[in-house]
Amino acid sequence: MSLAPGRAAAAILGLTLALVPFAARAEVPVGVRVIKGSRHGPAQVDPRLSDLKRQLSPLAYVRWDQLSERKVVLVHGKTEFVELPGGDTVGVTLEEHRGNVVTLEVALTQRNTQSRVTVQKGQRIVHGVVPEKNGEAVFIVLTGWP
Amino acid sequence: MKACARFRPMIGHRPGELPAGDARELADHLAGCEACRAFAADVEATTGLVAEALLARAAQRDFAPFVDQVMARVEAARAPGVLGWLSARRRALVGLLVPALAALALIVYVLQQDGGTGAALVQVTAEGEATTVIETPDGPIVLLAPEEST
Repeated sequence: MSLAPGRAAAAILGLTLALVPFAARAEVPVGVRVIKGSRHGPAQVDPRLSDLKRQLSPLAYVRWDQLSERKVVLVHGKTEFVELPGGDTVGVTLEEHRGNVVTLEVALTQRNTQSRVTVQKGQRIVHGVVPEKNGEAVFIVLTGWP
Repeated sequence: MKACARFRPMIGHRPGELPAGDARELADHLAGCEACRAFAADVEATTGLVAEALLARAAQRDFAPFVDQVMARVEAARAPGVLGWLSARRRALVGLLVPALAALALIVYVLQQDGGTGAALVQVTAEGEATTVIETPDGPIVLLAPEEST
C-alpha cells in the first residue's frame, strides 16, 4: 500500500502543525526551595533534601535544613520574588526556554548581583543567596519541571 | 531594589515592544532611579556601537555591479537546460520535497525536546559580586563570596 506524495505531505504537515503549540509553550514550572547549610552541629541532612545529597556533597557544610519550599510557574521576562530569612528577597526570572534547556536569572537585589544559569531538565541550580556568616549560609535550589 | 530587579530586564527593549502599562511604569521608575538610568545608558551606548559597526561594515561593500550580475543570471536562466527540465517537473519535485522538509522539521523538533545526550550543560554569567561556580552532574552550585567579618 503506497501513499500519494500529496497525501503524505498533508499528513506530515498536519502532524507538525499539531505539535507547534507544545513547542511554543512559554511557561516553565520551577520548584523553589530555600535551604541553610551550617558548618556546626551534628552532620545531618534534612530528609526533604535527600535528592540533593550528592549535589551538596562538595560543600563544606555538614548540616543542611530546608527553610521553605514553593512552586512557581515562570513566564518569560516576569520576575518571581522569593522571601529569604531576614527579610531579603531574591528575584527569579525565566530568560530563555528552548526544549528541555532553560536559562534562569537569579537576582540578589540587596547585593546588586545577577547570575544567568542555563541548565537542562533534571538538573538543579543551587545558588547562594546569603553569604556565609558565622559558619552558616543560605541557598536557594531551583528545579525546572519538578 | 525590588523594583530594580523587576524593571532591569525591560531596559533595552525597542520602542513598542513593551506593553503600554509596563513602558509607563518603566519610565516612572527610570525617572526616580539613578542606578537604572545608568544601566539604561550603558545598554543604549552598547546598542549604538553595534549599529555603527554594522553600518560601517555594510558601507564597505560595493553594490555598483549588483544589477549587472542579477541581469546576467536572469539571462542565463532563460536558456533551456537543467532549469527547464526542473521547471517541467515542478509538481513532482514539490510533492517529494514538502514531506522531506516536514520530516526534517519534526526531527529538529524532537532533538530540541530531547535536549541532547543528557550531558551537563551549564553556563553561568554573573554581574556584581564575584561568584564561584562548582559544576556537578546534578547541576551547578553558585557560591557567593563570604561576608567580611566586622
